[in-house]
Amino acid sequence: MDLNLTLGGPQGGGIDTSSNMITRAFAAAGYNVFGVREYHSNIKGRHSYNHLRVKEERPRSLKYPVDILIALDPDTIFEHIEDVGEGTKIVYDKQFETSDLASARMIMRDTAKRIKETLQDEKLPLNIKGALQLMQKKGGSPIAVPFNEVVSSAISDGVPTRYFNTLGSAITLAIAGLPSEFGEESIRQVFSAKESVVAENIKVVKAAYEYCNNNKLAGKPIPKLPKKKRFLITGNDGSAIGKLMGGLRFQTYYPITPASDESSILEEHGAISFIENENRSLKDSGIVIVQTEDEISAVTMAQGAAITGARSSTATSGPGFSLMAEGISFAGMDEVPILITLYQRGGPSTGLPTRNGQSDLLFALNTGHGEFPRIVISSGDVEECIYDAMKGLNYAQRYQMPVLHLIDKNLANTSDLVPEIDSKRVKVSQVLATKDSESFRRYNLDTENGISNPGYLGKNIFWMTGDEHDELGHVTEDPDVRDRMMRKRFQKLKTVEDEVPMNDRAVLYGPSDAEITFVTWGSQKGVILDVMEDLKAKKISANLLYIKMFEPFPSEFVSKILKKAKLVIDVESNMLAQAARVIRTNTGINIEKSILKYNGRHITEDELLESAMNIYNNRKEEKLEEVLENGA
Amino acid sequence: MAHNFKSDVTVDWCPGCGDFGILTSITQALSELNLDPHNVVSVSGIGCSGKTPHYLNIGGIHTLHGRSIPFATGVKLSNPNLKVIVPGGDGDMLGIGAGHFVAEGRRNSGLTIIIFDNEVYGLTKGQAAPTMQLGEKTKGLSRANIFGKVNPIALALASGYSFVARGFSFDMKQLKEIIKTAILHEGSSVIDVLQPCPTYNNINTMDYYRKKVYKLEDDKSWDPVVTGESMDKAIEQFQKAYNKGLEWEERIPTGIFYDNRAIPSFTKRLNEFVPQYFKNPPSDQIVSGVDGFTPVDVVKTFADKTI
Repeated sequence: MDLNLTLGGPQGGGIDTSSNMITRAFAAAGYNVFGVREYHSNIKGRHSYNHLRVKEERPRSLKYPVDILIALDPDTIFEHIEDVGEGTKIVYDKQFETSDLASARMIMRDTAKRIKETLQDEKLPLNIKGALQLMQKKGGSPIAVPFNEVVSSAISDGVPTRYFNTLGSAITLAIAGLPSEFGEESIRQVFSAKESVVAENIKVVKAAYEYCNNNKLAGKPIPKLPKKKRFLITGNDGSAIGKLMGGLRFQTYYPITPASDESSILEEHGAISFIENENRSLKDSGIVIVQTEDEISAVTMAQGAAITGARSSTATSGPGFSLMAEGISFAGMDEVPILITLYQRGGPSTGLPTRNGQSDLLFALNTGHGEFPRIVISSGDVEECIYDAMKGLNYAQRYQMPVLHLIDKNLANTSDLVPEIDSKRVKVSQVLATKDSESFRRYNLDTENGISNPGYLGKNIFWMTGDEHDELGHVTEDPDVRDRMMRKRFQKLKTVEDEVPMNDRAVLYGPSDAEITFVTWGSQKGVILDVMEDLKAKKISANLLYIKMFEPFPSEFVSKILKKAKLVIDVESNMLAQAARVIRTNTGINIEKSILKYNGRHITEDELLESAMNIYNNRKEEKLEEVLENGA
Repeated sequence: MAHNFKSDVTVDWCPGCGDFGILTSITQALSELNLDPHNVVSVSGIGCSGKTPHYLNIGGIHTLHGRSIPFATGVKLSNPNLKVIVPGGDGDMLGIGAGHFVAEGRRNSGLTIIIFDNEVYGLTKGQAAPTMQLGEKTKGLSRANIFGKVNPIALALASGYSFVARGFSFDMKQLKEIIKTAILHEGSSVIDVLQPCPTYNNINTMDYYRKKVYKLEDDKSWDPVVTGESMDKAIEQFQKAYNKGLEWEERIPTGIFYDNRAIPSFTKRLNEFVPQYFKNPPSDQIVSGVDGFTPVDVVKTFADKTI
């Protein structure tokens, strides 16, 4: 099975709950579900949707056209006019049929204008009927369901509209051929705490199935697969889980999309166990999470905690990260172990605050004034978020420098079913304070690997200053000490290169010899791996050079692969092909072909395959750039 | 032998600087409180005041301009057993760092904030600081100050600080006692210290202040301590403190304006949510399991995310 669906409705209208239901129902039947959440910077009313994919094996990407489009409001039909194709079933409330485009005020004006022009070009009326006719032309089949009647037949009191999202999900499940019991099971999971709510919603599920059966909408029953225990988590969850496992004790944040979810998750799950020093027994404790007055405070407060020995972190997004620049420079200068999780969204400025972007790579590599060592890592799927957050905390502690962990919005809001979280994959090593003495030198220069004596305020007496400093941490402007301190700090990057395995820095997926070599980072990993399979079916071999660590950059490894590659295609969610620039700076190799997307939406398998084929077919050209445009 | 709280680093403030009196008051206060030097740290910002941690023989962080409060808060919340002294300039606290200053009043973490208030930015050649009067023209200025001034006492009270005082750097006896009380105060304290800059402020000089200052404690009926037993009395005490804080032109009050012991500290508030917070604070926990891996039971902790 390969079922693609989009479920849309007004923000605040229970879209996420619906999507959760669908995911849990398929999961209960043993299937794998992968999804991305798209939403406006708005609390109530504007169009939001979840794009999901269901397969027997684990899906890694999403695809258009969808098989089922579920519209919980008329806007969804207008917004997704392009996302349907041969065989798409469009499920909607019959009442929507009277809606005009002109009255769909929650559609952004420019979007409405574009939809209007599309309908006018096709000489179709500017209303739902026109939109549905266009969808039919593309091969879609509208399924009008009297939402109110179906719900009212099941629920005697209460507002029927409150159950429309459950109805939409249940109809989807019925059309997909999933037996009703799984829909009911998902209701029990989603509304677990409230018995009466569970009962009412199950009635709606039953009514939906009955309606579908009576109207010959129910799909051919799909088989039940062996059920395994899994984690249903997002990228935000992954980072939070990794931080908890990695020994985080102090997290600061200032509210910002899409980063603050991580801190909320930590607050909800912040009661943890730790090992008591004296008798090595397991004790209960918790993480301190502080909502600060701004991101300047977030990055500096986390450092204050780190200086006392607590593993510390903060999470933010572009605008907040900009404010952190000076503080990050301090962490570099004063060798403060701190993990900064940077959730990238569409910039510049406020940009596309709830949409995807990968435009902060160059900034992350250069944030802060002056020259100082840092580690910059990036995750490409939900599982990587977990282990990378753990490793990030380890790196910060071991190498005593700021570690920036990049996660894009697309990944932050990707939900995935993860079969296992392996607590033995990454060691969590304690870095204890050096035994204190009168002559404790926090920044001792007699170190080959650049790493000085660890020390923590409260346990050691030492000084720190943003100024250049001597071994004790006092201000110095002595030219010789300056030179030696600069070299000592940068020596640590060489140590990182010596100690961190290449698998954690860059990975080559696929055959070592291939006709196409994709280069990417972040959340495009999954969609490229899927496109590689599609290409294989077309007898075109492809591999993927996937970069995980940008500083220190794995220059030799990358260079070796790119030098023997036949056709290199860089894939990124930004306009300037930033990773390609980093590669050029570090290896001198120019990547001349790229597939880029900067409209803030996730890259889908269909569009990437099409663009990859375009480039492949025109590979004799010196320079090629494809810009992807999918997504409502 | 008693710990010498003064470090051996050469002090490079100008001769006659009011900062010396503050430094001495701090070291004397620490000595008299007989604190373990490992249990007290100082966290500063930038400027002449920012150098203070280097002159103290206790752990110290000389941070960024305006950011001493969040750094210090991180230290305090991660290890609530530490006493955290925060020396800062008027620009540091009330200009570039004003947002943090207000936020810390709301938190009440337990910091001892000492404002080196000389109305100028000394290290950058005497520009007007946020505490300088409108129309004042000190010798470092090419034209009279066209900004109004912020009142540190009133702002501290309005921000929610539970201990608000003013000292004069040439009255070290009083200042030392204020600092001692502030260090022992559980919540966050603000001490505005009148500290003449002999190089750039030729108006607010030592003599200028000597003529104007008077001590609140000289009035035997002055009672700044709020116990929280009577809400009416607490409100009256706040209003009195605020009104005293507005006095400036003729006479300038020094001493403790407000000492509210009823407002719970941020560490106490955290303790409500973080199990064993005081006994095993974040700074003291072992994060590595006996086998070198995480001791966190991920399935149990994230049971709500398993299906």
